[in-house]
Parts: sequence; C-alpha cells; structure tokens
Amino acid sequence: MPSAAILQVFEHFREDIDDANDRRERLIKASRDVTNISKKAIFLLHRLILEDSGDERALALRAASEGRAKLAESHAIFALMRPELVGDRFWRHHRQVSPGLQEYIEALSFAHYLEQGTLISYAQVQAALSDADGPFFTLPVADYLLGLSDLTGELMRFAISNLGRRSGRTKANEVCAFVRNCKADFELFTPHVRDLCKKQHVTASSLEKIEAAAYTVVVRGSEYDLAPEALDDIVSKASARFSDHDSHQDHVVYNDV
Amino acid sequence: MDPLVVENLNTLLEQDMGVSEKIKEQVKELDKKVRIIVGILGKIHSTPSNSMPELLTSVEPVLFSCRDNASAIAGVIPPDQFWRWKDMWSNSMRTVVFAAALIEYLRKGSLLSLPRAAETFGIQEEWKDRFLLPVEDYLHGLIAMVNELSRYAVNAVTLGNFEEPMRISTFVKDIFSGFTMLNLKNDLLRRRFDSLKYDLKKIEEVVYDVSLRKLLPLKPLE
Repeated sequence: MPSAAILQVFEHFREDIDDANDRRERLIKASRDVTNISKKAIFLLHRLILEDSGDERALALRAASEGRAKLAESHAIFALMRPELVGDRFWRHHRQVSPGLQEYIEALSFAHYLEQGTLISYAQVQAALSDADGPFFTLPVADYLLGLSDLTGELMRFAISNLGRRSGRTKANEVCAFVRNCKADFELFTPHVRDLCKKQHVTASSLEKIEAAAYTVVVRGSEYDLAPEALDDIVSKASARFSDHDSHQDHVVYNDV
Repeated sequence: MDPLVVENLNTLLEQDMGVSEKIKEQVKELDKKVRIIVGILGKIHSTPSNSMPELLTSVEPVLFSCRDNASAIAGVIPPDQFWRWKDMWSNSMRTVVFAAALIEYLRKGSLLSLPRAAETFGIQEEWKDRFLLPVEDYLHGLIAMVNELSRYAVNAVTLGNFEEPMRISTFVKDIFSGFTMLNLKNDLLRRRFDSLKYDLKKIEEVVYDVSLRKLLPLKPLE
C-alpha cells in the first residue's frame, strides 16, 4: 500500500478517535456537573432537616421537596447527555457517566428516605432519570446499588447530627435499624457488583458509628428514671436559656473583648 | 428491601453473570488458539524466504477458526453492550490482528486494512452493536506487528536476506507517519506508540549496516 493510502486511512482513524475522545471529555464534564449539583442537594437536605420546627413530618417533606428541586437542575444536563449515550455509546462511556450518576442516586435516595423512610426502588430512580421523551438512558443495576450504598454514609451523618435534637434519639434508632437492613441486603449483591464490596466496608463503619451513638444514648438515659420525652424537655429547656437571646450572646462576646 | 425486590435485582445481575461466564469460556478457547498462532509465527525468524509461504499457510486454519469464537461471543452479547464486555477479549483480539497483519505483510508486503482485519474474525455488519473491531484494538495489533518486524529485520539479515530490512524500513516508516497523525489520549496505545521510535531506530541501524557493507543487490528496490 503506497504511503498516501496509509495516510488517508489514518486520517479516518483520527476522525474516529477524536470523535470518541471529545465525547468522552464532554461526558466527564457533564458527570462532574451532576456530581456537583448532587453534592449540593445532599448538603441542602442535611441543612433543612436540622432546622427547628415543631412538625418533624412537615420539615421532612419540605426538605425532600427542596432537595428534589435542587437535583432537578441536573436533568437538563442528563438531557444533553442523552444523544451522546444512544445505542452502544452508553457502555462505551459508562465509566465517565457512572460517578455523577451514583452521586445523583445517593442524593435522590436520601431525599426519598427523609420523605418516606424507605429505600428508593430501581423503577423510581429510573423514573426520576427520565423526562417527557422517556428515560435519559437505561439505568444499570450496578450503579443503582452503588448509589444506594453511599446513602448509608449520609444516614450516619443524619442520625448523629440529629442526636442533639428532640426525638433525635428515636430517629437514630430508626436509622440504625434501616442501615443494618441495607447492609444485609447489599451483602447478597456483592458477588455480582464490582466495587460494592469496598462500599460495604464503608457502610459497616457508618453502621458502627450509629450503633455507638445509640448505645451512648441508652446508657446515659438509663441514669435517669424518666421517659425519653421528659429528658428531651429538660435538655431543651436548659439549652433554650442560652440560645434564645441574641443580645445575650453579643453581651458575652463583648465581655470577652 | 422487600425479598421480591431483592430477587428481581438478583435475577438481573445473574443474567449479566451468565453473559460474562459464556464469554469467559470463549475467550479461553480463543486464547489457546492465539498461543498456537503466536508459537508458529515465532518461527518466521528462522525461516528462509522460500519456505515462508508454507509456514504462513500452516497458521491459517487456526487463525480462521477464531471466527467461531467471535461469532459465539457476538451471540451472547445483549444488544448495544459491546463496550461493556470488550475488555474481556481485547487482548486476544489485538494478538489476532497482529498475526493477521504480520502474515499480510510477509505475503504481500502490504498493510492489512481494518475491514480486512475484521474479516479475520468474520465480523458481520449486523453485529455492529455487539461485536466489532475498534480502531484502538486494530492499532494495538499494528504496533505489535512493528515490534515483531524490527526483530525480523535483524534475523532476516542473519538468514542472508539483505533486502528485507529495506522493505521493512519503508513499510514501518509509513505506519509510523500514519500514527503521528493521530491525537492519542494518554493511555496504553499512546505509550506503545511512543515506543515505536526504538523499533524504527533498530531497523535503521540494520539498514545502515547492510548498505554500508554493500550487501545489497545492485539493482535498487523500487
């Protein structure tokens, strides 16, 4: 084959390789943007759920709906990714898409948990990852499970930061039982899903942290022969004296200077 | 999770496991053939040009039997999932491309095109979302061929074939300039391409030795 012919052939290869590399870069960027939005949504959920409110249920619903609204910002990005992922391209670029996708599922499942107290189903995640034109792409079962596995870390944070609040103790026990079930369920899938095993270790350590917190609560509580609500009352009255008056705080700071 | 849900998810995951196991079986078979092919082709370095056609012909039955494995793999891959599984066999695939390209050069002195390399596997148009020969794997095969040809240039001289290094030099330079046209990302292919210059250098040294010592026939090559 004369040289010119070889060069012509390689020119085709160049187009082909450039096309795939450019798409790859675009998808990496899109995936990062989705990750970013999802992380913000998770922070938002943590923030909202810890707000002071008389009605826990209403608070949870509002947090979930605002978290979902934040997450919905990523739908425009997913919609742009759709044409880049048609046909066999999805699996070609799966590694680029996967991180953002898992972070999204983590955030979505957290909102879902706060709202319903259950694990979001595969079908529900797939439904969220859709618009009027149908699904953005078919959700791989592995990404669904890996995203859920990350949820346990958020639940640990949620349970522990909740301990200082009224009814936080019962919440912590609820979350503890829930995470324990998650861990048991995920264990069944570890032979089939790469990386799930690693994440199971993280789940195990999150679970331990929640268990340790729940233990402390029981031990300390046992020293007083009172109902949990009564303990809550004493603690919240005591702390209210210090947090109620902004002027009081200013005063302290002023004195320090 | 509801036990029913767990079961459903497990069924989905087990289907994937099934696919993966079937592919593994085929790749194992394919690898056996690849080792036979590479073994036979190793003999080119000690085979004089007149018995070369015979040697090359002896590889063909094994080489073409790779089609059976390719079509078996294509048969188990679900639609659109080529890229999900391809890592399982891409090494074997690259070696088969290497073998086919080397044979083509030794027979005709020309470069095996990608579509012709795909024919080695009997790849069919309707498989295109399940089994194909990606450009990268084809290029890996070519690099392996250049690696081999740089050795062959040396050994051809030992066997008294002084023209071969000249032909190899022209051929390999063409391929090298082809590669320089590509924008490769920082991966294995890029590193292997970077190492091609050592092969080129080795071949050039042989050409230099042969020319300076006037070992070439008087009639210049076209």
